[in-house]
Amino acid sequence: MFRGLWRSVGFLFGCALFFGTLLLALLAPAFMTLDVGRRVGLAYMPPSREHWLGTDHLGLDMLSLLVLGLRSSLYVGLLAGSVATVVGTLIGVYGGYKGGLLDDVLTVLTNLFLVIPTLIVLILLSGSLEEGRSLTLIALLIGSTTWTWSARAVRAQSSSLRARDHVALARINGYGTLHIVLLHILPYLLSYIFMVFILQTASGILTEASISMLGLGPYDSISLGTILNEAIRNEALGDGAWWAFVPATVLVTVIAFSLYIINTAMESVFNPRLRK
Amino acid sequence: MLQNHPTLKHVFGRAGWYFITFLVAITINFFLPRLGDSSPVDLIMARAGSNLDAATAREQEETYLLEFGLVQTDPSGKILRDSAGKPLRTSLLAQFGRYLELSLRGDLGTSILQYPRRVGDIISAALPWTLALQLPTIVLGWIVGNLLGALAAYRGGVIDRVLYPIALLTSAVPAFCVGILLVYVFGIQLEWLPAVGGYDEGMLPEASWSFIASASYYYVLPFTSIFVIVVGHQAIGMRSMCIYELGTDYVKYAKLLGMNERRIVLYMFRNAMLPQLTGLALALGAMVGGALVAEMIFSYPGLGMAILTAIQGNDYPLITGCTLLITATVLVANFAVDILIGLLDPRIRSGRPSAGPTGGDTSQPGAATGADAPLMAVR
Amino acid sequence: MPLPRLQSVRVLAFVVWAAVVGCRRGAEGDDSTFPREQTVYVGGFQWAQPSSFNPLASTPDWPVNPLTAQNLFYETLLVFNTLTGEMQPLLAESFKVGRESVEVVLQPSARFSDGTRVTAHDVKYTFDLGKRHKSLRVATVWPFLDEVQIFDEMQGSEGGERVVFVLNQKRRNALVVLDSLQETHILPEHVVEPLLAAAGGDINQFTKLKFDDRPVGTGPYTLHSYGAEKIATVRRDDYWGNEVFFGGKRAAPKYVVHPLYKSNDHYSVALQQGRLDASSSFIPRIWLKQKKGVRSWYDKVPFFAPSAMPVLWVNVSHAPLNDVHMRRAMAFSIQYDDIRELAVSGYSEPVKPGLILPFGFEGKYYSEQDARQYGATFYDPKRAQAELVSGGYTAIWSEAGELLETRDRSGQRVPTVYVKSPAGWTDWESAVRIAVRSMRAAGIDARERFVDASLYYPAGFTGDFDLLMGTPSSPPTPSKPWSRFDTVLSTQDFAPPGDKMYKNLGRFNNPKAAGYVRRFDELLDQIPTLTEPAELAAAYRELNVLFMQQQPVLPLVYRPDQFYEFSSRVWRGFPTAAHPFLPPQIPSARMGTRILWHLTLASASARVE
Repeated sequence: MFRGLWRSVGFLFGCALFFGTLLLALLAPAFMTLDVGRRVGLAYMPPSREHWLGTDHLGLDMLSLLVLGLRSSLYVGLLAGSVATVVGTLIGVYGGYKGGLLDDVLTVLTNLFLVIPTLIVLILLSGSLEEGRSLTLIALLIGSTTWTWSARAVRAQSSSLRARDHVALARINGYGTLHIVLLHILPYLLSYIFMVFILQTASGILTEASISMLGLGPYDSISLGTILNEAIRNEALGDGAWWAFVPATVLVTVIAFSLYIINTAMESVFNPRLRK
Repeated sequence: MLQNHPTLKHVFGRAGWYFITFLVAITINFFLPRLGDSSPVDLIMARAGSNLDAATAREQEETYLLEFGLVQTDPSGKILRDSAGKPLRTSLLAQFGRYLELSLRGDLGTSILQYPRRVGDIISAALPWTLALQLPTIVLGWIVGNLLGALAAYRGGVIDRVLYPIALLTSAVPAFCVGILLVYVFGIQLEWLPAVGGYDEGMLPEASWSFIASASYYYVLPFTSIFVIVVGHQAIGMRSMCIYELGTDYVKYAKLLGMNERRIVLYMFRNAMLPQLTGLALALGAMVGGALVAEMIFSYPGLGMAILTAIQGNDYPLITGCTLLITATVLVANFAVDILIGLLDPRIRSGRPSAGPTGGDTSQPGAATGADAPLMAVR
Repeated sequence: MPLPRLQSVRVLAFVVWAAVVGCRRGAEGDDSTFPREQTVYVGGFQWAQPSSFNPLASTPDWPVNPLTAQNLFYETLLVFNTLTGEMQPLLAESFKVGRESVEVVLQPSARFSDGTRVTAHDVKYTFDLGKRHKSLRVATVWPFLDEVQIFDEMQGSEGGERVVFVLNQKRRNALVVLDSLQETHILPEHVVEPLLAAAGGDINQFTKLKFDDRPVGTGPYTLHSYGAEKIATVRRDDYWGNEVFFGGKRAAPKYVVHPLYKSNDHYSVALQQGRLDASSSFIPRIWLKQKKGVRSWYDKVPFFAPSAMPVLWVNVSHAPLNDVHMRRAMAFSIQYDDIRELAVSGYSEPVKPGLILPFGFEGKYYSEQDARQYGATFYDPKRAQAELVSGGYTAIWSEAGELLETRDRSGQRVPTVYVKSPAGWTDWESAVRIAVRSMRAAGIDARERFVDASLYYPAGFTGDFDLLMGTPSSPPTPSKPWSRFDTVLSTQDFAPPGDKMYKNLGRFNNPKAAGYVRRFDELLDQIPTLTEPAELAAAYRELNVLFMQQQPVLPLVYRPDQFYEFSSRVWRGFPTAAHPFLPPQIPSARMGTRILWHLTLASASARVE
């Protein structure tokens, strides 16, 4: 089955894109000096040989900012994606397998979070957090409000597995719920959960960019969202400083796009019904 | 009695769940913004009180606290105080009770930041703009997206290979970035289209052709910025669903029977549409909150900015009023779709009613979307 | 599914048609309620939908708000010319400052918009409201007044009626009274009193009235309409001032409209596209916008005439900021040139030590020699180090050269100093970032902390901060620079952190603590009573030296209180430094309203391209 994955052009392309950005974020400091503590010129200097992407409104090197922002955004995306996947999977698998009242309660909980718009909850929460909206906190907030979708998706899977023979057999043999869920249900869902994780990561990155754009991003770090926010508020548009917002836009898009492609490719391999 | 009317029973059952969800949601909406310990009165005092002497400032602050029901009073309306003479704050629970009581009477209270405007007035002034921008955009985007998605799935080939990556790409661009790029290129660099506002500065809203023309002109960029993304999302979902339906047994069987191609397509389309309808409901419900980005980037009138400024200024009555509206629209939209799907798909009606809103969802094994439904479509 | 497809085609066709028609119509700009060649668009005073035009509300909207000194609907007795530092006539014909009182002669021909004469009774009534209702803004002048008298009308027979503001004997301070005379909108007693009586005399009930239906004022414009997108005012052709000030001429534009955009950059775009004529919003890098016709007071650096002084408030109630060495070290460490060039786009003269602006009408009190001798507001890393050494501080650096922590004399870690500033205020954010960067480079462990505005204000009043961005007593008024000193140093109503103080946010010079410097308070009391220029200059000099030695706040940069940008695409005749016939003020604020009589259309058929 995995061999099919390596033959998929989309999968390889998506992976190449994603790991390309990941490598840029991780390895760039080894090849260049990232300096955002010191002004290197005037406000919004266009790209030059010394500063490939020019400067921002405070005369800081845009390329350094971008690499640091990329690291933060990937961190937020992966952390938020993990939280959303883990929480969603636990609730979804358990509810789907157990059924009955517990399932009903969990479903109400899930749908409740689904009905209240995530963005509004995030804004409300981050508005009432007094001090230190740190990057990690933002990631956890995103993760803990976007898990609903994973829960719904996983629950459907889990409840369909419930009726399978091997699960029924395990039940008859008197194994506990935890045992069955861990050994007889989760393994069958791994590839599915991984796809969920990929999509959650993409939406984590996009969500962080959105709330930072609204001025509710982290106070302590540079992320792609805060770079965009600063550019807009400091009239990069009016002054024609495209280098202050186009590269960050492209990076966010490329990450999300690559993750989407990976997901699509994986689906068409793992879910034969989607193969034409 | 209801046993004999499965449809009615279904409707009532759903309505009950929705009501419970609604209650929990407004409770959360009420308490969430009040978690922090900052007081909105501080903000008013900052603007009004900086030149007052200490005693008057305290007196004035207490007047506001009283006005917004943030301090406890005895029956005669006098402020209750602790031993140090400081006014006793009303507990959150008591505030919540008062809020519920007033809301039931249709009184959403007075805005703190925009004092003395009523929350109801603020919302009703902003809502038409939000609806005018979002409703046609989402519905139109949904229709076009679904048509394109279906087209890509059925025709396949070059159309699919071109359309699909484009749709993936547009849905990967953050919503506000589309707006920013449009403003930059068409509004500022080329100056083809206005980048700021809802209509010509020289006009007042009126029922005249010139006003409608002006509003349409100013509508183009905000519309496009949302439209592009909705189309992308919907096309991806629809394409996956259609491919999924193409592979189902009933389609294979129908083909085997030699059924008319048009009819098969019609059936498939209907089945593929069901989860898409849920998506539409969610999108429509979220539109009030989703308007924020477009309003910020284009200075377009509407509710989104009202919410954001209210949150930034801890304008509790306005926040709660807006979130009440948002929750209500989301729930009503979902309820409507729920019922609609119930009518279209008898399997749901007769099956075990699932808990909570947004029925016809993946929680129904064997329903419109099975366990192996594509992820991109159920998202 | 043929149905949705057909519908979508129809709807799509409609949108395309509407857009095309709209484009054409939009470019023509006909059928406007406010024709472009009869309308001046101003911006930058307001972002949100208006809620009240009540002149007694705590913060009424444009153009009633006294905080931004708007004069379109209601007028003040006098206006302050920031170019000359003089008070000039408006509703008052003349005024005289004496030892015991300030005397004002009213314009005999001044009329309210309902045709009634502006009398001494109206003036007395307006000010007396502040005696009855302590929460009104005009109440702030009463600690300095004993009473407002209507002068015997027989004696004033040769001119207008006279009103005498009798100064309080204990706190004789004509400066505060003058500030109030150029800020307080005179209200018609015959309109306000019945409404107030109907509200049972309860001012909080009264301020709920919106005053949005044919308000009665003395100003040259009145309310036309308002909504979420704009506030529109229309010219009053029977304005009394036409005869008195302009030889019978009317103001040029029929309408003055304030569109409500949601951020500064939108005002900037509108100004560049000729859709806005004047704005007081912060527009960075204005030289880039000159090619699109955007102008300011000067055509070159510093572009604006600075009048306010953003500072970092210093909370001296805890370590290490209670140590003057630390405060002076901070002052020496900040790279003021970076703040000036980058945070405020160069819109400032280089900042100099002290709390007196070294130019304009305050310049006469400024001493360059004192500044060199006592001041610390220079970027000088060596002297910053010297102050840190004398305070016993050492910085601990990492291998990579990053500051880890600062330690005090006993080797203890000095707590990180946080700089609080409202999130989203771009120029302040930038200034704070640069200040923090500078201090860290000098070995002072400082960090920025951006908070929502709703948390920023209370933090200031209750002293819940280490360093706090702010502009003490920003507007240019006759009481400057005294009122700036007073706002920074006043020990009236001194309250410990936790309780609220609206002045002296840093809790400097606690009268009950050891080390209290009485001289600060003596000078603050003395200066308003001085009339002899030499005495005044000496007192200011002494106060400024004391300030420099103690460094109770850290001035960062200068900036205008209200920015002044305009576009000459549609209207010509705005004052500039080259033609300074009026001060740089937007044509709705202060003396800026008079610009409206000087404007002419740039071309016979003005069109926005």
